[in-house]
Amino acid sequence: MKRRWLGVAGVLFALALFAGSRLRRLHEPRFPPLAELTGGPFAFQDAALAVAGFRAPAADLAWIQLLQYTAGGVPELPDRPGHPYEHLKSLSLRVARLDPSFHRAVLFGSSILAWFHGIERPDEAADLLNEGMRRSPEQPLYGLYLAAIAYKKQGDTDRMVALLESSFDLPETPSTMKAILANLRQSRGEYREALALWERIRDNERDRSEHARAKAKIAELRALLRSRR
Amino acid sequence: MQTISAVYAYTFKEHIRHKAWLSGALFGLVLLGGALIVSALGQDERGRLMLDLGLAAIEAISLVSIVFLTVNLILVEIESRAIYLILSHPVRRADYLLGRFLGTVAAVALGMAVMAAMHAALLGLYGWWEPGRYLAALGCMLGKTAVMGALSLLLSLALTSEAAAMAFAVFLWLLGHFSSEMRFLADRSGSAFLKTALVAFSHAAPDFAHFNYRDFWHQPAPSADWLMWAALYALAYTAACLALAVQVFEQKEF
Amino acid sequence: MNAIRFQKVSKIYRRSHLGRTTETPGLVELDLDIPKGEVFGLLGLNGSGKTTAIKLLMGLHLPTTGEVETLGRRAPDVAVLARIGYAPEAAYLNKTLTGRENLSLFAALSGIAGAQRERRVTEMLVKVGLDKAMDKRLSEYSKGMLQRASLAQALVHDPELVILDEPVTGLDPLAIKEVRALILWLKSKGKTVLFSSHDISEVERVCDRIGILSGGRLVKVMTQDEWRGKADALETAFAAAVVRTDGVGPIRME
Repeated sequence: MKRRWLGVAGVLFALALFAGSRLRRLHEPRFPPLAELTGGPFAFQDAALAVAGFRAPAADLAWIQLLQYTAGGVPELPDRPGHPYEHLKSLSLRVARLDPSFHRAVLFGSSILAWFHGIERPDEAADLLNEGMRRSPEQPLYGLYLAAIAYKKQGDTDRMVALLESSFDLPETPSTMKAILANLRQSRGEYREALALWERIRDNERDRSEHARAKAKIAELRALLRSRR
Repeated sequence: MQTISAVYAYTFKEHIRHKAWLSGALFGLVLLGGALIVSALGQDERGRLMLDLGLAAIEAISLVSIVFLTVNLILVEIESRAIYLILSHPVRRADYLLGRFLGTVAAVALGMAVMAAMHAALLGLYGWWEPGRYLAALGCMLGKTAVMGALSLLLSLALTSEAAAMAFAVFLWLLGHFSSEMRFLADRSGSAFLKTALVAFSHAAPDFAHFNYRDFWHQPAPSADWLMWAALYALAYTAACLALAVQVFEQKEF
Repeated sequence: MNAIRFQKVSKIYRRSHLGRTTETPGLVELDLDIPKGEVFGLLGLNGSGKTTAIKLLMGLHLPTTGEVETLGRRAPDVAVLARIGYAPEAAYLNKTLTGRENLSLFAALSGIAGAQRERRVTEMLVKVGLDKAMDKRLSEYSKGMLQRASLAQALVHDPELVILDEPVTGLDPLAIKEVRALILWLKSKGKTVLFSSHDISEVERVCDRIGILSGGRLVKVMTQDEWRGKADALETAFAAAVVRTDGVGPIRME
């Protein structure tokens, strides 16, 4: 009589264990173990949030720090002179390891590493995409970008551009990648195509971050087209 | 049943009328606002950030509220001796504890609902609308809150020190999110003792890692079956902790 | 038939600190029967065991040895508490609720069904003179009002046995007179009343019998015949029977 609640607790705990085992069998969250999180100056922030059950928000904050880095650097990770974006790969991986479903971080980082003017580090981009693909194989853009990098290495720019443009309107495509593509067209003297791409960027609500640049580029390209006539 | 509902009702009113509840709800709304401001820095991922940071803010404030309220739930009544009057009526201690617990969870759930309504409205204005999954995530957060409430209540009765109970509750919260890691480490451990200890801990602590719908929202969604088992898990774990709390409480003299 | 029966009841308080256990006797081999319909006063100094005896009756303490019976049932018995009304030495009521809400809570806990409850609560609040303040929160009540609210909760379910712990301590003369009238009214309705007090003059005015407790022992039981019409008889008996156990010496002003 005195210990009856212990028995009740035992039965309920066994039921919880059973339900827990079914829970785990039906769905396993795809988070890499903590040991695989990237080190560096943000390691404590990442580990603390991950252990407290806030991995997705940790990845979100890491994404903001990645954007800050690309926009002008973060004091914790200064680039050495002559080594632009030298921490871009590790900062992109940091987001992907916190939450592999954060596909845009991998796509964003790899698009800058592979195609941003003056960077040209396609091997680092490929490493990033390969890890992204391993952790989140359902994302089709990883394979597409890897194929585009392969065309780039072969010097087949036409097929590379065509392949990348096929993904232009997909919701996961980073605005930065779209801007890179439009600039690529412009650098090849294809002003009309470049103008069309910038107009698509301007008209897409998701690309809000590139709207100001798109307006300037549209004006610039229209002037170029007028002068060409 | 009349006893449980009477205790539930006065506990709920007590919390809602307490200044700390109002401050908690206001702080939650401020936190939510902060999360939405931070999300503006997310560029292409603003929608994701609004969702994640908003839900995280709601969960964080709910967690702090439930731990604080349940740790003090009985100790305060013992200290103020209000418990003398309650238990000198025909009230079974199990009914009293259950009524107090349910009233507290309901008060915290109300706070969560207020914050979630504001959050969902803002997401709606941003053009985001996935009510089914949002409710599933909120349901899982409520489940975690209930489990933490029952655990904190048990700890407060077993340890009788508020500070120790709160520290243990936070420790168990972290351990709960570490359950997958513990199994991962157990798989890799060469020591039979360590392996057994890690597996035992991973089962004894609440499995929040597999329960964290809010956190793996962006990954492929679990099935409806999963939600059913998740609900059963939260209910059974909560009830097990409450049963243990009743066992401890029934031995107590006032 | 007895309303209350203590059979060789002892209560030892055990406290452990830094590995050392100290034992303090709260009550020592108490044998006492109180028949139905009687008004019985427990007299004693602070720490003499009055409150311990009452807590044993209410199931708030468990006897170390011996047996306690209330209304023919061995304590602790939750069901029998529906037939007992208890007012502790201070009004340990929930201050966030209004007078009406508090009384409604205790009526519900005592098993009064919803339909009847509202009527009984209003009637009782009128009887104790709180009808004008019934919708105010208890945090706004004066000490006297709180004491009335406490008495109301003890009587709302029309109990057979009423236990009042120090009911006149700290009250003004008018309120003391009202409590005295209440006890006599309860007696006239055939209720059994047990109350504890330091106040010898109050006890001798309303009690059929008294018991003097000293150091946890029942040292003397007296009937009304032994003090009625004999000036200072009770006071003399009390002074002769009790021994200070709190380590305080007498006041000597020479």
